[in-house]
Amino acid sequence: MSFKKIMTIYRKELLEMMRDKRTLFTTILLPVILYPLIFIGFSSLMSRQTVKLEEKGATIAVADSLKNDVSGVIISELNKIQYFRYMAYSKASEQKYLDKDVSAIITLSDSTNANGTVFYKMTVKYDKSSDQGQMLIGKINKAVKNAEQQVVQKELVRRGIDPQIVDIVRMREIDTSTAQKKVGMILGMILPYLLIILLISGAAVVAADLVAGEKERHTLETLLVSSAHRNEIVIGKYLTIITIAMINVLVNLISLFFSAKYMASQGGLETAGVRMPLQGFVVLFLALIPLATLFAAVLLSISTFSRNMKEARSYEQPLLTISMLLAMISFFPAFELNNLMALIPIINISLLFKAVMIGEYHLSHLFITIGSTLVLDIIAIWVTIKLFNSESVLFRTDDDSSLKTVKSNKKTFFSPYYGMIYFVVALIVLFYLGGYMQAQDLGKGLVNTQLLIILLPVLLTLRILKQDTSQILRFKAPRLKELILIPFIAIPAALIVSLLSQLINQLFPFPKEYLEQLGKLFEMKIPAWQQFLIIAVAPGFCEEILFRGFLIRFFEKNGPVVAVVVSALLFATFHLDPFRFLPVLLLGLLLGYLTVRSGSILNSMLSHMINNGFALVITLLAGKGFMKIFFVNADTIRFWVILPAVAIFVCAILLFHKVTQKKELS
Amino acid sequence: MIIVKDLVKEFPKKDGTFFRAVDNVSFEAGDGEIVCLLGANGAGKTTTMRILSTVFKPNSGTALIQGHDIVHASQQVRENLGFLSGDTGLYSRLRSREFITYFGRLYGLDDRTINQRIEKMAELLDMKDFLDKKIEFLSSGMKQKVSIVRSIIHNPPVMIFDEPTSGLDILTARNIISFIRDCKVQGKCVLFSTHIMREAERLADRIVMIHKGKVMAEGPLEELRAATGCTDLDDVFVHYINQFDQETEVKNHEF
Repeated sequence: MSFKKIMTIYRKELLEMMRDKRTLFTTILLPVILYPLIFIGFSSLMSRQTVKLEEKGATIAVADSLKNDVSGVIISELNKIQYFRYMAYSKASEQKYLDKDVSAIITLSDSTNANGTVFYKMTVKYDKSSDQGQMLIGKINKAVKNAEQQVVQKELVRRGIDPQIVDIVRMREIDTSTAQKKVGMILGMILPYLLIILLISGAAVVAADLVAGEKERHTLETLLVSSAHRNEIVIGKYLTIITIAMINVLVNLISLFFSAKYMASQGGLETAGVRMPLQGFVVLFLALIPLATLFAAVLLSISTFSRNMKEARSYEQPLLTISMLLAMISFFPAFELNNLMALIPIINISLLFKAVMIGEYHLSHLFITIGSTLVLDIIAIWVTIKLFNSESVLFRTDDDSSLKTVKSNKKTFFSPYYGMIYFVVALIVLFYLGGYMQAQDLGKGLVNTQLLIILLPVLLTLRILKQDTSQILRFKAPRLKELILIPFIAIPAALIVSLLSQLINQLFPFPKEYLEQLGKLFEMKIPAWQQFLIIAVAPGFCEEILFRGFLIRFFEKNGPVVAVVVSALLFATFHLDPFRFLPVLLLGLLLGYLTVRSGSILNSMLSHMINNGFALVITLLAGKGFMKIFFVNADTIRFWVILPAVAIFVCAILLFHKVTQKKELS
Repeated sequence: MIIVKDLVKEFPKKDGTFFRAVDNVSFEAGDGEIVCLLGANGAGKTTTMRILSTVFKPNSGTALIQGHDIVHASQQVRENLGFLSGDTGLYSRLRSREFITYFGRLYGLDDRTINQRIEKMAELLDMKDFLDKKIEFLSSGMKQKVSIVRSIIHNPPVMIFDEPTSGLDILTARNIISFIRDCKVQGKCVLFSTHIMREAERLADRIVMIHKGKVMAEGPLEELRAATGCTDLDDVFVHYINQFDQETEVKNHEF
């Protein structure tokens, strides 16, 4: 790869972008105008309108059935409110209220309780949804409070009681937060969301133009026949997106910083010792770089995949929406950055910003955030380069993916496209219907989920498409040799996976609520054999049919390795559990291998049942008798167990690989 | 020098089968020679040229450009190749000079060489007036001249023209035709594709007729005329197409 050529492409793209009026407007001009307008223009407009509203005042009808000292005090306090006009209540007042000639109606009355004490009642009829209504209730409340104080004091004096008795419990607030921190708190809520959205929307405009735009303008081929290597083209364009996105963020930050600073000085905040956290702004800018690179890579791959700009923009939309939702986390209280959160893209940056703004962040979180984003970034840029080197993607033509063609052509049904559609639909049904059924009754719900959501639709689909069910699902008897090896593979695998979960738990502790939820599974008050049926047998059978039998078939066009990996990824996603994603993924890989290698799904079914059943056995037996050697308790396996487990697993897998050597792989 | 041997290119179809766009195509083009790929729309001309210019990879077969393999030495192939098509797009926000310089730099040329060549070509093609104008403000004829300079800025020994005059007005098309002739005079190896018989007649030293992805006839125009007994190239072309279709039909019956 030639750095010089990359820089040539980069400089040219940058020059072109800077000559594009739309890009210039959205990246530079808009932010320069927008923030002063929002901060200075809006706030002055708002204060002007508030004054205007107050000056307009209100006309209020008062029905005073008391006409005594108390009502006198209340009315005199009400009269003190500037711009308010009062009129005596009459029958016409109700009509005037409806006609909006009168803004509120106040009624004063009294009542006596069982002890003979007289209470005064005041009713205010007003429209809370109107600006005027909100303004007047605030003022009336204040006036009535003053009146109440006077009346109570007079009454206490009359009864010979110290008026201070009403203040017998006094509360004093000692706020240790600084004004600086309060400003940081507000900025920390708004800024992450704003910056992430700006970053991705700025990058999206440029990315769509850089490849899909070139396809549309017929310039891509000219570039491809030049002596620049495709990887150089990708990197040059990738750097352009990052630069434009970062320029956009930088201009926004500068404009925001000075507008906020101006506002603060106007509001007297600066004289109160509050400074805009400049250092925080710098850390934010630096932390945004890895996120910018990630967005750039993902958007570039979308642009490469799209046939034209319009298509690219529509593919970008879901990414923008998801990013927006994830970035919103900064608005929610009680979300703080921890090791686990630091692994989730966008959420980590959003929470990191919040922490930086109030000046409370750990360097370890900063490193995990940047590190995990960079790992994803490398994967994304690798995918983009692969896409850019793929003819079928770069020169993609119109393809028909309408559902009408499915039935007429069964061969094409087993394509990744329909596989993903089936999976997404199953996932949605699992989330809503499965979740509902399990909430009603955990045991029954689990069995019904397995049978009705996971197993039945697969069998029906194969039936409707008139496919050979047992052939598609690889439903054939394995050889005895294979079956004998399965326990030697499945039990050590279960141990290894459990130890891995244990390790993950130590590094990123699972939330307590999560563990309690998981524990419920093993605490169902039903006989052990029923538990075994629900936890081990049903999932072992049904989930294998769905993932290793059915879904794996959709991805076999690209070879058995891709099919196994994709089906394992789907299997892990299907569990809707971020804490167990990695262990389930590994298990999925093993089960996929067992099925594809041996050509029989029964091997992976048995293995799955042993794996799930093993967890149950541990819960029942751990800590008893000789089991103490291996287990501290049901949740904790001794770490040395990993050594024999790996040894047995490796030997068993090698043997399995050998005995299945001559079997067909498809 | 271009040597093409048994080139095959297939594209996947919607129903999971494959469409063979280029089917065992073989031909050669020597230095100082103009070879024309003649065929109807969809015959496989553009796909063949895209393979030769390393945009597509062939499913099988080989091709050498100046002795460099198109798959294994694609970088060297591109360095020795100039490519121009009728619908070549240009970066409208760049000035003509910037556009040509950009490609010159991608070919690894230094700015001094690029400038010298631009000045020389601008003189020849009468481009001085619009060298520093933005491409978006140029007429189609001016744009085509910019494209020509772009394709030849690295002085490649082999030139490939894919339907270079399609969609152009007659004056602009003449510019291209005379440019192709100049290339021959300079001793370059020229391969150009067209479906316009007159163009092939006027320019080609040898004609390679392509139909449904296959080469159905090849040779100098006179030889093709003599072999078919037709004088008009249109008739020669139709003659070969009829012959090809008949042969294919017989083969299908045999199976």
